[in-house]
Amino acid sequence: MTVTFFRHGVASGDPLPTAVVLWTRVTPTASATPGSGRGPRADVSWVVALDRAFRRVVRRGSVTTSAAQDHTVKVDVTGLAPGTTYYYRFTYQRTRSTTGRTRTAPATDAAPARMRFGVVSCANYEAGYFSAYRHLAQQQVDVVLHLGDYIYEYGTGEYAMGQKNVVVRQADPTHEIVSLSDYRRRHALYKTDPDLQTLHRSVPFICTWDDHESANDAWLQGAENHDPATEGSWAARRAAAYRAYDEWMPVRLSGTARLGDGTQIYRRFTFGRLAELSMLDLRSYRTAPGGAFTQVPSRDDAGRKIAGDDQIAWLKRGLSTTASQWKLVGNPVMISPVLVPPLPNRVRDGLKDSVGLLPAEGVQYNTDQWDGYTVERRQVLEHLADQNITDTVFLTGDIHSAWACDLPTNPGTYPLSTTVGTELVCTSVTSNNLKDILGAPPRTASVGVEEAIKTANRHVKHLDFDNHGFSVLDVTPARVQMDWYVISSRADRAATATWSTSYEVPASAQKVRKVSQPTTGASA
Amino acid sequence: MSAPQLDRRTVLRAAAATGGAVVLSGAAGAPWASAAPVSSQRVYVLVIDGCRPDEITPESTPNLHALRSAGRWFPQARSMPIAETIPNHVMMMTGVRPDRSGVPANSIYDRAQQKVRTCGEPTDIVFPTMLERLRERGLTTGSVLSKDYLYSVFGTRATYRWEPFPLLPVTNHALDVFTMSALRTMISEADPHLVFANFGDIDRFGHSDLTGSNLQVLRRTALTSTDAQIGSFVSWLRTRSTWSSTTVVVLADHSMDWSDPDRLISLTRAFKGNALLDGKVAIADNGGADVISYLGRSADRSRALAEATRVALATPGVLSVRTTAQLRLGAKAGDLVVYCKSGYRFSDPDLYSNPIPGNHGHPATEAIPFFLAGGAVRPAVLSERAATIDVAPTIAKIFGLGAPQGGFDGVTRV
Repeated sequence: MTVTFFRHGVASGDPLPTAVVLWTRVTPTASATPGSGRGPRADVSWVVALDRAFRRVVRRGSVTTSAAQDHTVKVDVTGLAPGTTYYYRFTYQRTRSTTGRTRTAPATDAAPARMRFGVVSCANYEAGYFSAYRHLAQQQVDVVLHLGDYIYEYGTGEYAMGQKNVVVRQADPTHEIVSLSDYRRRHALYKTDPDLQTLHRSVPFICTWDDHESANDAWLQGAENHDPATEGSWAARRAAAYRAYDEWMPVRLSGTARLGDGTQIYRRFTFGRLAELSMLDLRSYRTAPGGAFTQVPSRDDAGRKIAGDDQIAWLKRGLSTTASQWKLVGNPVMISPVLVPPLPNRVRDGLKDSVGLLPAEGVQYNTDQWDGYTVERRQVLEHLADQNITDTVFLTGDIHSAWACDLPTNPGTYPLSTTVGTELVCTSVTSNNLKDILGAPPRTASVGVEEAIKTANRHVKHLDFDNHGFSVLDVTPARVQMDWYVISSRADRAATATWSTSYEVPASAQKVRKVSQPTTGASA
Repeated sequence: MSAPQLDRRTVLRAAAATGGAVVLSGAAGAPWASAAPVSSQRVYVLVIDGCRPDEITPESTPNLHALRSAGRWFPQARSMPIAETIPNHVMMMTGVRPDRSGVPANSIYDRAQQKVRTCGEPTDIVFPTMLERLRERGLTTGSVLSKDYLYSVFGTRATYRWEPFPLLPVTNHALDVFTMSALRTMISEADPHLVFANFGDIDRFGHSDLTGSNLQVLRRTALTSTDAQIGSFVSWLRTRSTWSSTTVVVLADHSMDWSDPDRLISLTRAFKGNALLDGKVAIADNGGADVISYLGRSADRSRALAEATRVALATPGVLSVRTTAQLRLGAKAGDLVVYCKSGYRFSDPDLYSNPIPGNHGHPATEAIPFFLAGGAVRPAVLSERAATIDVAPTIAKIFGLGAPQGGFDGVTRV
């Protein structure tokens, strides 16, 4: 019965010092499948305890769910103690869900000696197995930061594994998702993945969306992968995508876990005096991006927005007023300026496909990212310089490759000029990287590209176009350190994971530095 | 340049490591042997003037980096407004904000004298400093300050003083090599419980380095040199019997920002021709901060200050305008403080008034290195936001002194 009622696992997210969101989905009848709109109302109870055996229960309650919310259950449990590990589970008709483990954030005025974050992005179901999630669950992290592309919207075979587009496992629905029902089914599919279920029940998530939660290269009024002529209005599709996301993810949109009361996902988390995390939304408010489908009239145009005025003001205010030392920014797309050097056409096209770089002749910047929105980027970087804000680290996903970069205000005079922060970019969980698209063996074709980019961009200190996996960000007052782990194969359900490399950002340094060994887990 | 004049003070002329002589002065009756055995504690406050926190690296400043790594380090430390030398040194020694200390900026408009002047007279400080508070408890103190205006503002507050000499022309400071020599001589000959020392090379060569916005040749050289001297000094301290009860406080008073020649701001020019402002305000240029005092009719005061704020904010390169009350600067600072953005500098009254590329005073220069080291200090890295104002409470804690009347504005970092 457990499997039947709670087949989509349990999850927690958005930990605050005294609150955390708990999530599950109940399947009360066989016909009440995700996206079906069928099934009765269901009363689901929940309980939170200090111990896995549930002897020391601290909170309990019940909620009613229904087909109107796709039978998802979302509870914002309050009144918890800061910096505390809790266990939770749900019950429906006397059948219990699996037990989840979660943890509240430290008190705002606490001084944690350490925090560990998992950092992941870009999990394409048809491109492989989510072994990265399974291995990350062993890392004893306090929180997982998901930087977007938690799901992909494509139909079967439209975007799968490698150059030959091999479908490692088929998605549901098999067509491109457009309607609310479609998005619900796709979320449900992901939530049946055993590796993702393992990670969700082990640790709370803090998520933001990138584009594929709605459609490729989404922006304010459309997306590259959206055709209004055949797929209806973009507004309706995006509303469906956001509604399903709200239902199926352990997040607070517009500050609450209630459904349908807003779609603002940019928000802030504090981990005592040690760190503050600003999670950005760089898809919902941005003007038309660059890319193969839309040329950017001028990437320096003041009217071009990637975050929008309100979000930029909110970010700047948070960066300059926080009492916390490390200013972490969950940043869906890269902020470091990247000049693409001249490359062979085949490699150039591969780069374009894998990481969204746009090296069309005469256009050398990645205009789909902050590089295409230089006015707002300048606002952020100048703010960091003007206010002498130290220890800002952008944590980025999206581009299916690993990067460690210094963030100079003046790349032309780097390294002689000062830097105002750093950027650490995680690989994809499964989505294609440059090596996959080129069909090249590991550490062959990519190596030259990596070196060319690093040579042309001296602030880029590390670049890996070949691997998939996860990262661990270990934060102490003395430094943050990112450890990159790579999986052996996307196509192998039992893939292994090995440590690849590590870079640290010493406190006050504003620069990345390679270190020789990874951190080890010792969750508080 | 003549040797310092010493009147009504006891004087010690001691052979120095530099091969010359170091002239120290002491309060009447102060002994030149070891310190009175009131306390075994020793505190040396070493101000690396103008040092940026990101300049302390294993490669460029190995000694400071090693000292910091073994010490009690506050990576979030900040200078206090206005991020200038004199007010922050005064805040270090008083532990209170400028509205209580009496020193809000390097340069102020003096309403009584009706002129802009350096806020560096001994009478400018109106709050007891640790230099004299320790003396009242029977302890001895010393000041070894490389800049002439710092020597001036702290006057005879310390038991033992070194008047910076020889002073370099233009920079008006003594090279760190002479300052360090004086510091070691003072400790050898008088062994004060507390010594307050300022090393000016990094700041002064940062100011004047015309390669400042990128190469920073002179400054990088100064960093290396000062680092070596600090390393040598601490090695020497370790050999002394007092090391186990010694605390070395290393910090900067502010950091440094560089501007290109075309990034000048003149509010005098911006205010020119404005009926409410032209000739009715005085501007004291503090590099990255213009301090504005309204001089016109009191009936027009509110309108004039609003207009000054509007015009300033419309001037390219201006970051923000704050009232002196918001910044707790006190009456001496006038009415408004206008900050520039990173990469700019003020040049008032005219565009030739401030030719130096390196400047501070604005928020872009507030992050500072700040750490404690010494025989009694355990390694730690702390996320708390320490500040220059915390030095005095820290000294007080070490020597068991209570808070001054009205309390400290800073907090102890031990």
